[in-house]
Amino acid sequence: MEFIIENYYEVGAVILFGVGFVTLMLHSNLIKKIIGINIMDTAIFLFFISKGYILGKEAPIVTELSKTADNYINPVPSALMLTGIVVAVTTTAFALGLTIKLYKHYNTVDLEEILKIREES
Amino acid sequence: MIELIPFINILILIIFSFTIIIIKKDKIVKFMSLISNLAVFILSIFLLIQVLDNGTLLLNLGKSSSLLGIQFYVGPMEAVLSVVFTFVMLMILWFSYSSIENEISKSRISFFYILINLLLASLLGVIYSNDLFNSYVFIEVSTLSACGLIILKDKKENIKATIKYLIMSTIGSGLVLMAIAYVYSITGHLNISSINEVIISSYQNHNNAVLIILGLFTVGLGIKSAVFPLHSWLPDAHSSAPTPASAALSALVIKVYVFMLIKVLFRMFSYEIINDFIIMDIILLLGSMGMIFGSIMAIFQKELKRMVAYSSVAQMGYIVFGIGLGTVSGTAIAVYHIIGHAVTKSSLFLISGLFIEKTSSKKIEDLKGIGKEMPITLGLFTIGAFSMVGIPILPGFISKWYLSLTCIEVGRVPLILIILASSLLNVLYYFPIIINGYFGNENLEGKIYKSKKIELKRLMPVFLLVIAMILIGAFSSRLIDLF
Repeated sequence: MEFIIENYYEVGAVILFGVGFVTLMLHSNLIKKIIGINIMDTAIFLFFISKGYILGKEAPIVTELSKTADNYINPVPSALMLTGIVVAVTTTAFALGLTIKLYKHYNTVDLEEILKIREES
Repeated sequence: MIELIPFINILILIIFSFTIIIIKKDKIVKFMSLISNLAVFILSIFLLIQVLDNGTLLLNLGKSSSLLGIQFYVGPMEAVLSVVFTFVMLMILWFSYSSIENEISKSRISFFYILINLLLASLLGVIYSNDLFNSYVFIEVSTLSACGLIILKDKKENIKATIKYLIMSTIGSGLVLMAIAYVYSITGHLNISSINEVIISSYQNHNNAVLIILGLFTVGLGIKSAVFPLHSWLPDAHSSAPTPASAALSALVIKVYVFMLIKVLFRMFSYEIINDFIIMDIILLLGSMGMIFGSIMAIFQKELKRMVAYSSVAQMGYIVFGIGLGTVSGTAIAVYHIIGHAVTKSSLFLISGLFIEKTSSKKIEDLKGIGKEMPITLGLFTIGAFSMVGIPILPGFISKWYLSLTCIEVGRVPLILIILASSLLNVLYYFPIIINGYFGNENLEGKIYKSKKIELKRLMPVFLLVIAMILIGAFSSRLIDLF
């Protein structure tokens, strides 16, 4: 129990990852699948950023020059995750665009129904 | 200047791909993509010569220390791979100039060349990069451009295949990113060489974390490279894409992720650490299963391109098998098989594209008697199939031979049976096409000799690929000694 409370960021991230993964696996609706992917990505961002967080330190934005590096958290994970967010947004946009195309062809966004349509034809 | 080549290669491809966007005329687009790929091919040869003369090349971008900047690491493996990849891509481009109009609508032709350039740039990036996060970004770029190549055809199956591929590979890259987070949290580095220094001294304190990292990398990169139980997206995606695109996807894209896995396992960790963990046995098991089941599933396919795609799953099995042996020689053969298979599979896919175009049918059964109508083309297909099956001198035989030798070396003799069984299964699905193509009176009845002949100009890239394949087989011992 103590372990969970001490590492609550990581525990939260892993639970979120599980939620996203289950959403992705169990729903046949494409939009929900894409939402699941997004939740998974967010969990990873939370996990990564919490690795660079140091309790009681500020975000690494220099406003007063008198402060030294000891006053700030580790900026590397945050910088990496900015790129990660860009990647996730691109993938989501692409996936949603594909979903629209799929809807135009099949008139549904439900993968199971699409499979049925394919078997009939 | 010469040490900047890896960077210049990627820069040329990306700059040209974004210049192509604003050009309207297809002829200029084709010319520009040819020029950029040719330049990258020639530069890669210079790079290979440089690396062979002076040893491994390290290029720091941004900062001069490897701690903050992004580092490129080009050893003999990377240099050879980049030459082979640029060569195969050049041949695919050459082939596409005469056939791309048949498969995708005219308004989309320039997109094909944009995406091919972007794809090659990101593949080279994954090969060269010595920085985990940089590799991740290149992996994402390559996935998105590969998806773009599949959807170019704009048919129902393509959209479905692309969505499947996109979702599967997003899970894969999510797992890879999670693994990178774990690595960063226990070592504080992203540079593969620096991680290696830290992890060698301290891995015993983080046994569980190392196991999680290995598992995440294996599954994440395994999904993307279609290792056996995670391959379900591959047949749809590779068989529905336009022919040049499926050649590029099957020959190059899935290989890069497996090469990244090699880098992670053996350069980031090391042979000593890896062999302490159960993960190598799992990788070996996945490889063996892929070799057997990939071939079995290929036997039951009725469409030519689907069969060749399933054959890719089986061939990925060989590569993963080589990695799973966990020795230096096993890895060398895995890399050799990457090279051999890249050349072979691209030629097989291009030839199947020609068959489909001339017979206007995707089915294997419609290929009966094709040997009388297209003797040279089927001859080239036969050489490729011989390499897959393992006829001596050709690369397929050589990797099987050395894999068996390595099995004996590590004392796992029963595994040779799996290699043999997989070879026999390969015979079962490649040979019927050849036999029904050339022989059998009822097959050849009513067919006119050379009636569907393809001009030599269009067949030239396939010829060159097959010649390269034979050369790779003939000079195999020198190549394997390099790695």
